[in-house]
Amino acid sequence: MVDIGLFTQIVINGLLLGGIYVTIGVGFSLAFGVLEVVDFAVGEYVMVGAFMGAVLAPLFGAEGVFVIPIVLVVFFAVGALIQPLIHHVTTGDRPHPLLMGLVFTFGLATFLRGGVLTVFGPNSQDVPSSLLTGGIAVPGLGTFPVVRTVTAVFGVSGLVVFMYYLYRTRGGMAIRAIAEDRTNARLMGININRYQSIAYGAYAALTGSAGVFIGMTFNASPGMGLQYTAFAFFMVVLAGMGYLPGVIIAGIVLGLTQSFTAVYISGNAVLLVLFAIIYVVLLVSPAGILGKGEWAT
Amino acid sequence: MPRKHDDRRTFLKSVGAAATTVGLAGCAGLGGGPERDTFLLGAVTSLSGDLRFGGGVTQRGYDMWADTINREQGGIEIGGDTYEVEVEYADAQSNPSAGADAASQMINAGADALLGPYSSNVTLSVCPIAEQNSMPHITGSAESPQIWQEGYQYSFGTIPTVSIIGNEATSALLNLEPQPESVYVTGVNEPFSEATAVSMRTAAEDAGVTVENYELFPRDTDYTNVVSAAQNADPDLHLHGGHIGSHVDLVSAASQLGYSPDGFLMHYGVNTGSYKDGAGAQAPYTFGATVWIPSVDRSGGVLFDSPQAYADAAEAAYGSAPDYTQAGSTAAGIVYQEALKELNAAPPLSQDDKDELIGILEEIEVNTFYGDVTFEVGGEYHHNNINTQTLLIQLGEDGSPTIVGPEDAATGEPNYPVPAWDER
Repeated sequence: MVDIGLFTQIVINGLLLGGIYVTIGVGFSLAFGVLEVVDFAVGEYVMVGAFMGAVLAPLFGAEGVFVIPIVLVVFFAVGALIQPLIHHVTTGDRPHPLLMGLVFTFGLATFLRGGVLTVFGPNSQDVPSSLLTGGIAVPGLGTFPVVRTVTAVFGVSGLVVFMYYLYRTRGGMAIRAIAEDRTNARLMGININRYQSIAYGAYAALTGSAGVFIGMTFNASPGMGLQYTAFAFFMVVLAGMGYLPGVIIAGIVLGLTQSFTAVYISGNAVLLVLFAIIYVVLLVSPAGILGKGEWAT
Repeated sequence: MPRKHDDRRTFLKSVGAAATTVGLAGCAGLGGGPERDTFLLGAVTSLSGDLRFGGGVTQRGYDMWADTINREQGGIEIGGDTYEVEVEYADAQSNPSAGADAASQMINAGADALLGPYSSNVTLSVCPIAEQNSMPHITGSAESPQIWQEGYQYSFGTIPTVSIIGNEATSALLNLEPQPESVYVTGVNEPFSEATAVSMRTAAEDAGVTVENYELFPRDTDYTNVVSAAQNADPDLHLHGGHIGSHVDLVSAASQLGYSPDGFLMHYGVNTGSYKDGAGAQAPYTFGATVWIPSVDRSGGVLFDSPQAYADAAEAAYGSAPDYTQAGSTAAGIVYQEALKELNAAPPLSQDDKDELIGILEEIEVNTFYGDVTFEVGGEYHHNNINTQTLLIQLGEDGSPTIVGPEDAATGEPNYPVPAWDER
C-alpha cells in the first residue's frame, strides 16, 4: 500500500529537483534556439559557478546567495566574450559548422574542468549558506528544503524573465528574428554579433548562477559538470529543441521520473527509465513533448 | 664466396641460440632484468579520474615510506650494502581496465614488486595481472572481501577487509547507550560500498536490531529520495557504505529534509579534509569507521616511532593530516622493506627471489606505527592483514575525530544521540 506521506514527499522532491534542472535547461535551450550551438560546456559553467560560490561566499559572511549578483555579471561578461569565438568557428566557409561548435565547446569544457582541478584539486567544496538551510515542514504535505525551493523559484523566474525579454522587447524581437533567419535579420539592419553576444552572455550568466545554487544544494565538485551536461541535453530534447516554455515540462518530467523511479522501482533503474522516455519521445514526437520545438534530426 | 642461404641459415641459428639461452635463463630464474643498484617498486594508483583523491592519498603513503627509508637509512640493507628504493607510478585513471594496463606496464618496466592501487574496483583488476606474471603485490588501500576470497598467491593487503571494519564499527555503535532498536542501511552500488553496507547489515542482524531497509543506489542519485524513504521508516540509526562524495550528499539532503536519526555511521573517510570540506556545517557528529588515526595508542616500530610521529612527518611533507589509507600504504612499503631484508637478495630480483619473497610475506610479522601486520594464509581472507583493530570515531564540533569505540580503545565519550539539525 502506498504511504501518502512518502508519496507527497516524493512529488515535492521531484518538482524541486525539476526546478533545479530548469535553471540549466533555460539557458541551454536559449543558446541552441538563438545561436544553434549545442554547448558541451554547459555543465562546466555550472561547475565553475559552484566553485565561485565556494570561493567567494566566505568573503560575504559565508552566504552563497550574496555571491549571485557577482556571478551573474562575471559570467555575462565571459559569455559575451566567448560568443564571438563560437560564432567564428561555426560560420564562414567551414564545413560541418554544428560539429565545429561541438568541438569548440568540448575543448572549452575540458579546459574549464582541468583549470579547476589544477587550482582546487579533486576535493569537493562546500558552498556555505546559513540563510538557505533546513526545510519548511508543511503539515499533511511534506518538507520543502529551502535551498531547493529557492533554486526552483530562481529557475522558473529566469525562464519568465527570458520569455518577457524575448516576446515583449525590441531586443528580444531581434534575437527571435536572428533565430528565425540570420540572413534576413542582417538585411533588416539587426546587429547580429551584438545580440548573439547578449544571448550567449545571458545563457552563461544564468547557468553560472544556477551553479551557485546547485553548489549550495549539493556541493562544488570538479567532476559534477558532466551530469548536468547530460541532463541539459535530456531537457532540450524533451522540451523540443530551442522551445523555451517546454523546459518547465521537461524539468518536471525529469525530476518526477527520477524521484518515483528511485523510490518505487530502484535507484539503479533511473537512467534506464529516463533514456526510455527520451527514446519514446524521439520516436513519437521528435519536436519535443509538446511538439513545438525544432525537430531533433 | 658463401651462398646467400648459408648466411641466412647461420644468422637464424645464431638468433635461435641466443633466444634459447635467454629463454632458459629466464626459466631457470637467472637474472631479473637489467642491472640496477635500487629496488624498483611499481606503484599503480589513480592519479586522474573520479578516484584521484584516494589515489593521491595512496601515492603520499608510498612516497612517505620510500622518502623516509632512503633519507634515514640510505635504503634497504642487503648483505652489508644499502640499496635505495625507487617508486615508479603508473596511472590507473580510476578505471579497472586502465589499472590492469598500468600493472602490466610496471611489470614490463622490470619492477621488483608492485604496490597496489586505491579502490577495490581497480585492485580486483590488478590482482589477476600480478598473478599471471608471478609478481608480488601489496595494496595499502583496498577493502573489498572479493579480493581475498579469490585466494590469489601473489597479492597481499595491509588494510583489513571492510567485511570486518564495517561489521566491527557497527557493532561498537550498536553497543552505545541508549541501545538502538532499528537501523536503515544504504550503500552505493559498487563492490567496496556494497560490501560495506552488507557488513553493516550483518552486524545489525547479529545484534538482533531491526533492519528497516537495505538499499543500494548509484553514486549520482538524488539523495532526497534516499532520505525521504529512510525518514518514512524512522530508524534509530542510519548506516551508509560509500566513498566520501556520497556521504556528503547524504548528510546534505538529510539536513535539508530534517532527517535526524540518533546517528549516521559512514564508511569511508569521515575524518578526511575532503569530507569536512564537502559537508561543511553538516560534518560534526558524524560517526565513522577507521583502523588508524594519529591519536590511536599503538606502539611505533619500524621506521616511525609512533602514530603521532608519522602524522607529524606526513603533515610536514604534505601540509595535511594523513588518514588510514595513507598510513596503510606506508605500512605496505614497510612490510616490503622487512621482507626484502629477510630475502637478502640484491636488486633486481629474479623470479626465484620473487617466489621466495611470497613465502616470506606469508610468515612475516612486522610491528609498525600503523599496527602489527601479519597476513592470513588460507580461508576467506587469504593474504589480508585482518589484525589491525577497527575504531569507531565521531567528529566533534570542530571536526576533529575522537575514538568512541570499541570500549577498550575509546579515548572519549560519544555525543549520542546526536543533536537534531536545528539544534546544532
